[in-house]
Amino acid sequence: MSSVTSVVERLAITALLLLLPGHVVAADAPATANRCATCHATLADSRLAKPATLFSQQDVHRESGFRCVDCHGGDAAATGKVRAHDSARGFKGVPAGQAQIATCARCHSDAKLMRRFSPRQRVDQAAEYVTSVHGKRLASGDTRVATCANCHGAHGIRLVKDAKSPVFPTNVAGTCATCHASATHMNGYTLDNGKPLPTTQLADYQRSVHAAALTKGHDLSAPTCNDCHGNHGAAPPGVGAVVNVCGTCHAVFAQKFDTSVHRQIFDKSCVECHGNHAIAKPSDDMLGTGANAICGTCHSGPDDKGAAAADGMRAAIERLKAGIEGSGSLVARVRNAGMETSAQEIALGTARSQLTLARTEMHASDAARLTPIVDDGLKIVAEVDRAGERAVSELRYRRRGLALSLGAILLVVVALGLKIRQVDRRT
Amino acid sequence: MSDVTRFAPSGSGSPAPSDFDRRTFLDALLAVGFVSTAAAIVYPVSRFLVPPPSGEAATASAVAGKAAALKPNSGLLFPFGGKPAIVVRTAEGDLRAFSAVCTHLDCTVQFKADTSQLWCACHNGTYDLGGNVVSGPPPRGLEQLVVNVRGEPGEEDVVVSRG
Amino acid sequence: MSRAADAIVAWLDERIDLSALKHFVAEKGVPVHAQEVWYYLGGLTLFLLAVQLFTGILLLLYYRPSAAEAYESVQFIVTQVQFGWLIRNIHSWSANLLIAAAVAHFFSVFFLKSYRKPRELTWISGVLLLFLMFGFGFSGYLLPWNELSFFATKVGTGIAGTVPLGGKFLLRLLRGGDDVTGATLSRFFGLHVAVFPALTTALVAVHLLLVQRQGMSVPLRVERALKPGGRVRQMPFFPNYILRDVLAWYVALAILAALAAFYPWELGTKADPFAAVPPGIRPEWYFLAMFHTLKLLPSHVFGVEGEHIGVIAFGIAALFVVAVPFLDRRSNAGRESPTFTVLAILGLVYLVTFTVIGHYAR
Repeated sequence: MSSVTSVVERLAITALLLLLPGHVVAADAPATANRCATCHATLADSRLAKPATLFSQQDVHRESGFRCVDCHGGDAAATGKVRAHDSARGFKGVPAGQAQIATCARCHSDAKLMRRFSPRQRVDQAAEYVTSVHGKRLASGDTRVATCANCHGAHGIRLVKDAKSPVFPTNVAGTCATCHASATHMNGYTLDNGKPLPTTQLADYQRSVHAAALTKGHDLSAPTCNDCHGNHGAAPPGVGAVVNVCGTCHAVFAQKFDTSVHRQIFDKSCVECHGNHAIAKPSDDMLGTGANAICGTCHSGPDDKGAAAADGMRAAIERLKAGIEGSGSLVARVRNAGMETSAQEIALGTARSQLTLARTEMHASDAARLTPIVDDGLKIVAEVDRAGERAVSELRYRRRGLALSLGAILLVVVALGLKIRQVDRRT
Repeated sequence: MSDVTRFAPSGSGSPAPSDFDRRTFLDALLAVGFVSTAAAIVYPVSRFLVPPPSGEAATASAVAGKAAALKPNSGLLFPFGGKPAIVVRTAEGDLRAFSAVCTHLDCTVQFKADTSQLWCACHNGTYDLGGNVVSGPPPRGLEQLVVNVRGEPGEEDVVVSRG
Repeated sequence: MSRAADAIVAWLDERIDLSALKHFVAEKGVPVHAQEVWYYLGGLTLFLLAVQLFTGILLLLYYRPSAAEAYESVQFIVTQVQFGWLIRNIHSWSANLLIAAAVAHFFSVFFLKSYRKPRELTWISGVLLLFLMFGFGFSGYLLPWNELSFFATKVGTGIAGTVPLGGKFLLRLLRGGDDVTGATLSRFFGLHVAVFPALTTALVAVHLLLVQRQGMSVPLRVERALKPGGRVRQMPFFPNYILRDVLAWYVALAILAALAAFYPWELGTKADPFAAVPPGIRPEWYFLAMFHTLKLLPSHVFGVEGEHIGVIAFGIAALFVVAVPFLDRRSNAGRESPTFTVLAILGLVYLVTFTVIGHYAR
């Protein structure tokens, strides 16, 4: 019974393999038939030798059973160069431009095939690429744009989750910058408004809070280029889309901002205040009309309601901050004097949560919605202060108690002194 | 007192009445002083000997509350070593405890019954009931604490400790 | 009241013959002279030692000697236990006053040459007690397991590691391993509450017994000023002198209470063995002179490591101090001994200046 099933199974698999494109059959064929590397590894020209060595080291395609001919065509079994590179045997040489996209897409856009190797992997990269700035330019005949191999490499390709892959989160910025930070490469490209395309994005990004989180904080969820621009469909987020893009992570801010009057006014939404690539760690200084405040760039003058609202919100946040700091030092003082303060410390933590919430709520640009949050925080602070004052009076009580015992001690000292005089007089 | 008189010069007779009054007054004063200083020592020491209500230093464990009071699919915040922590009873009835300090900006997380997740109101960070980040800005999961149930049946305390 | 006391004494006398004790009490006198003020220091040291013993036993009720719990248990004592702050503050302050009193007692005896024959053994037991007090201070400092004490202990035990021949072994022995860890804490706790108190009790017993047997020493100068056959004027110990002693104790108690109330001993932050050494780490004041001397020594002197020389010098100094009664022949023969007075002055000046410089040095 079991032998019959296995025979049927084998037949079915063979039939399936016959139906599949040729390279997959090749993938399952014995590796000894691959003679490309035999010659290429010995060639003096490194452009011809290096692919062979790279491919023979760590390469996700070779590890899955693919061979040189699966992308380059030709005859892997041939012993001579002419026969191996015979275009009649499908030899394609180095696929470039659209041919490269097609070469990769032959497998990577084939859902049925990809399922056999990586069932969860997406198969829409080529379709996305068409919509990207890179893809559109390629279609219009520009060959200087990035294609698959520019980012992923051609030989020695590693999985994206491999830390040595050029498209691993920590490497993405550097990979994009190979072209985008090069003034010569970017020469001739312009923005929509006709100005030359800047090449400062990498430098800007490296100063940003996002880069710090990714490289110094080792937080791989921190965004790099592709998290905002997309990867295969890479393009700048359009006007009106920025808030959605930022909102994928900063959901609450996006939600608050959506209800703000600025939603209709700010073309570039978040970017208007926070910038794009060089996003700095936000500070309370940005709010209001003071020295480093951003609101002041549009709102100024005594009659400007916006300026008043911004200054009001800033004042509320500063009030809460000052309150928390004052209570904090009171609690620290009391704790150093040896009093139990853990309840107050937890309460201060809650007050700090309120401060964070207030900073979030501020993005709705509505002072009336900020006030109750700040007031809740101030209430907690006031309670902590009361507890602190109670502790301080307890400290005073301790000192009174000690003063009392000191009094008793001094009484004994004086009485002893008199007694000594008395005793001495008698002897 | 015979030893004292032994050292007293032989010439000194019995003390004058006023001198005697002063002596008794001084002795009384000394007695009052000694007794009150003794009291000033005995009182704090005896209070020191009485164990405080919490019994022992809360180094690694804390009582979160009564097990019976924690209904399925609910959470309870409690102080743990000067910071908030949360104990959750899952819909299946398991008890789990985590540090309630969000790993993003230290806000206090809360239990959301509709999704059975831990949620931080500050920036919408959510964690599953394994403490792992589900969505939002938190860079790391919440520290999981060890839960034990201790006490008389029906009156069990939920005791949470650091693993 | 005194009648009741008399009755109790009579009752006891009937059962255990108290005549010897009564005789002793009646006969015990204290010499009266210009330098008699220094006699109080011994009694004061004893009183502070008693305070330490008493508050130390109280602290043992709540203290836990482990790296995970030591800091928290001290925090618990200070914040949760009623009057725990007071007991802990008194223990900390009294420790410092005790060391100060013991050092003052040491120097007063040195200057008065009271160590001379027949009191050599009293001196040796006293010097050993002084070293024990330093041991108490050093081991007790680590017990709260806070950042400062942790790193000070690291530095302090590190000095023991520079002892030539076997320094490495001594270091491991002190630390209970290569580094200061919870194992060190266990060791120091054992020393602080068991080994040192046992040794102290025995030595204090010997010291006091000798003092009672031999009576108070009369300074050389006073003795020499006497006319032949003359005697130093005596004051009865009971009650004249004991009242003075108690007065001194009460003054010490008042100072302790005031210090404990107005200058609470800080707990600091919990020790983190993996944290960077915070700036300004220095030992307790009574080790400052030694610490600063080692710091000032050049790294190499005549091809020998500077620290080795320092540690050897301290060892020789300690031996010298112990052996002083045998070295000072002139005092033993009842003659003035200016050499040893000068040595004592030099020692005192060295300790004071290096402590002060060490305190202000960065």
